[in-house]
Amino acid sequence: MRYSYIKPRHKTPFSQEMQLLVTFFSITLIMIVGTYLFLLYKDYTFERDKEQAIQKRLALTKEIQQMQNKISYIEKQRDLSEKIFTQNSVLKDSITNLFDLVPERITLSEAKLLKNGLILYGITPSKNVYNFMLQAPIRSIFHKTYSSFYPAGNGWLHFVSTNYIDATQQKLEDQEGAE
Amino acid sequence: MLGKILESLYQKVFINIIRQRSDTVVYVHNYSKKGDLSHYEEVFQTTTPSQEMIEYINSFTKESPYYYITVLDTSAQQGALPSCKKNLLQSYEDLTTSEYKCINKEWTVYTSKTDLYTLEKEFGDVGIDFVFSPFILLATFFADKINNTLAMYALIIDSSVSVMVFDSGRLLFAEHVAMLVLDEHENIILEEAQEDVALDLDDDIDLETIDVDDNIDDLEGFSYIENLDTIEDIDEFSQGEDLEEELYENEAQEKGTEEETNDNSHFNEDYQRFSMIQDAINHFYKDERYESNFLENIYIADYTHVSNDLKRYLEDEMFLNVYIRSIDIGSELYSLAKKELGL
Repeated sequence: MRYSYIKPRHKTPFSQEMQLLVTFFSITLIMIVGTYLFLLYKDYTFERDKEQAIQKRLALTKEIQQMQNKISYIEKQRDLSEKIFTQNSVLKDSITNLFDLVPERITLSEAKLLKNGLILYGITPSKNVYNFMLQAPIRSIFHKTYSSFYPAGNGWLHFVSTNYIDATQQKLEDQEGAE
Repeated sequence: MLGKILESLYQKVFINIIRQRSDTVVYVHNYSKKGDLSHYEEVFQTTTPSQEMIEYINSFTKESPYYYITVLDTSAQQGALPSCKKNLLQSYEDLTTSEYKCINKEWTVYTSKTDLYTLEKEFGDVGIDFVFSPFILLATFFADKINNTLAMYALIIDSSVSVMVFDSGRLLFAEHVAMLVLDEHENIILEEAQEDVALDLDDDIDLETIDVDDNIDDLEGFSYIENLDTIEDIDEFSQGEDLEEELYENEAQEKGTEEETNDNSHFNEDYQRFSMIQDAINHFYKDERYESNFLENIYIADYTHVSNDLKRYLEDEMFLNVYIRSIDIGSELYSLAKKELGL
């Protein structure tokens, strides 16, 4: 505006009715587009959440598998430890029994426990003492018993007693015992 | 962007309204990018927007949403001041109740806010987009002259006279005077004066011997005009004459010879206009606030087809070189409105 006292009114080709109509349609269109965009967004977030859930499930499954493996490993370890514990108990009992078997007159210098056998080193006053007091109970336990002697300096005898359990025979005995 | 595209599809309708003393002229110009398409003109015998005028305007505004209604400000309380500085403006006029506008950072036009609101209210049915001061109209109409010379410029319309003095593009003085509506008694007196002066002028009688009516003292000035050796005396002032403008004026007179009549009905009004111009010049010379300078030329933008008497009065009484140009205010307002819109 350079010369006029007043500013010209705003001119528009749209009449008031047309403006109202255009406004109405614009609002409707904006709402529709807005809803569409909102749904698109929600769809996208849903897909993303679904994907994340799937990934999480896979990770959890994998974790569960790993944990189950660990559990089974631990169970095996437990079984093994129980087995070892039992074997140790058995061994302890066996050793206790063994030492119970040894009479006071015979002195053991070494004992070797084998898987299916027992080797004893010691010193005995005589062969008879050994045969009657130690070999007899050992023979009742082991299937095969071998003894050898050699003289000690003081008139006593060193002995080596080698005893084995026969596996097949042991199995048969176990079966019989079970029956 | 969309607005500009839509705007380019429509033609523009410029409606220019000029309110005169007893009627209103409505000019309509249709404009498109290719140029002016058509123009119409209608005179309504009313000074306020009548139903008929509103219907006429609406018949054009319906054609395009891009229509602009321009009104020429003809209110009495208006003027122009030779400065744009607010502190200086107050020394010329109290503008607290006026709407004013600085033009070219050099001078100011103002009008009464009340009149402006009244105008907007009156045209409330159709609305107004532009209101132009007659001083703006005058300055643009004589744009080719105001930058070069010292002269007085006057816009004469039916209801008022607006005068401005420009010295090389610098406004020195401006005044707007509304025409008085004379009652019957005054008309009779003036008619008598008209007869007397007509006799004086026609018969070349020594006016000092004539007993002029005491009531029309102002006319005394004319009594010795005829005694002057006018040709020689006036030639002394004729150095500043505008030959180009005289040529233009002569051409216009030749064209208008057939239309010229001996009808002296304009005499009263022309005399009143002469008095107004004379008063304005006196005011310009005497008021110390205005930087006065000796005036030799007066350019008149004539919208009312003033008679030759006015020119003669001014030349004989005021020793001015008078140049009269007819102005088509409708077209001028149309040009201004287009300028405002940057077209």
